[in-house]
Amino acid sequence: MSSASKMPRIQRFSSRSDLFPRLVAMQKLVDAQNFAVYRVGAVGAGKQRILLELDNLGAPRAADAFVDAYGDALIEHLDKSLLPLLWNGIDESSTAETADMVSFTVRLRPKVLPYSGVAFPVRLGAVGNGYVVFTANYLDLSSGLIVELHGRSCQIMMDLLALDEKRSPAAEALSDREIACLQLAGDGRISEEIAERLKLSVHTVNAYLGSATIKLDSVNRIQAIAKAIRLGFII
Amino acid sequence: MLQISSVGIEAAIGATPAVSRDQLLHQLASLTTPPDLYSSLRALTQYVGASHYLLARCDVLQDNGLDFVLTSDWPFYIVKRLTVESAATYARTSELEKCLQLFQPGFALLPDDLILPDGTSRQYCAMTFNIGRTRLTLMLLFREGFILSADRLRDVGLLAGYCVSFRQYSEGRSERDFELTDRELECLFWIAEGKTSDEIGVILGISRNTINNYITSVMRKTATKTRSEAIAFAVRNNLV
Repeated sequence: MSSASKMPRIQRFSSRSDLFPRLVAMQKLVDAQNFAVYRVGAVGAGKQRILLELDNLGAPRAADAFVDAYGDALIEHLDKSLLPLLWNGIDESSTAETADMVSFTVRLRPKVLPYSGVAFPVRLGAVGNGYVVFTANYLDLSSGLIVELHGRSCQIMMDLLALDEKRSPAAEALSDREIACLQLAGDGRISEEIAERLKLSVHTVNAYLGSATIKLDSVNRIQAIAKAIRLGFII
Repeated sequence: MLQISSVGIEAAIGATPAVSRDQLLHQLASLTTPPDLYSSLRALTQYVGASHYLLARCDVLQDNGLDFVLTSDWPFYIVKRLTVESAATYARTSELEKCLQLFQPGFALLPDDLILPDGTSRQYCAMTFNIGRTRLTLMLLFREGFILSADRLRDVGLLAGYCVSFRQYSEGRSERDFELTDRELECLFWIAEGKTSDEIGVILGISRNTINNYITSVMRKTATKTRSEAIAFAVRNNLV
């Protein structure tokens, strides 16, 4: 029942470093100076922020200015649109241009950062959402280039997610009984109802939910249900 | 659903129709003001060499009529039948698998007893993508014996996403999270992290009774019976 066994894709990459050459190739294609991959993550209190995952920016805090400037706008955009984002830098000559794709791109507030750039939003679903970003003093993006890079960006984000999932499988596979109990609990059934449905005693049901909670490294059954859905054990 | 074999794709590239990607993009750019999803998808369908398209939401319960279909030029009786079948498939795959299927074309067969338009393949192609929290599926019918190009399918998926985004953007639409307040979402987030009402009370600096009121209100708004179900609902709908 583990989601890994049902996964139809073949794993072609074993570590994050395998993604670098592909990102560099994309960077060259668009004639940019740097790339960065960000993901949207929850940082408590239901607030989201974008977090740096991969980059060749050089300096350790180089992404902070970008996140400060555009983080909120990027999160908001990802919640409603798939269109690529462009922005112009502080300098007059620092621009990101597209002649034939104006209607399919969205502009961020200009003149905030010392460089211009393009950010490709990738929305996979419940997990792994984010942006692949290219920055330069000047960018000239044809429509064909935009579509090509955006398509590859989607693949990068999927491979990144697949790598993460491989690295952190649930400590032990859940048993069928544990999954059945979690599923019913997630559907709003109380222990007594689950017991009746599965022809078990209430204590046994609670024991299954307890062991599932431990296996999912959770503190209570509610967190276990949230994790089980995110990991694909229940739907 | 089967993944397309790469051998078949390579063989088909020479035989794809004459519109180039640049021409297609030019065509779409001229169509998008005013936004017109129907014409845009028609152009995309032609570009990939398919005959009919169907764009539908695949993340909502399918038993309230056909309003989850955004646009389609499929014969109606096929739409009606197919959406029921694809709802069943959708429910069988996990969220993680769905996340790893973005823009990946999958092929499946229409039911044997459906009468298709002449020359139409019983196989259809489907791919999914997300616009915000909405998961959409684009399904294509094509001629029997025709092999769709994987490169063109990828372009078409992405551009269909652009067209829907563009329309949503110009309408200024952004879905409110089931009318839940920020405070309620905050509580949901912490509950999903395994915190108790007491703990959340400390975190947010308000009384546990207030927290419990928020949660009761969430369960009322989302029509859920228990806390567990409310969290499951929130996770399934990407609210936390």
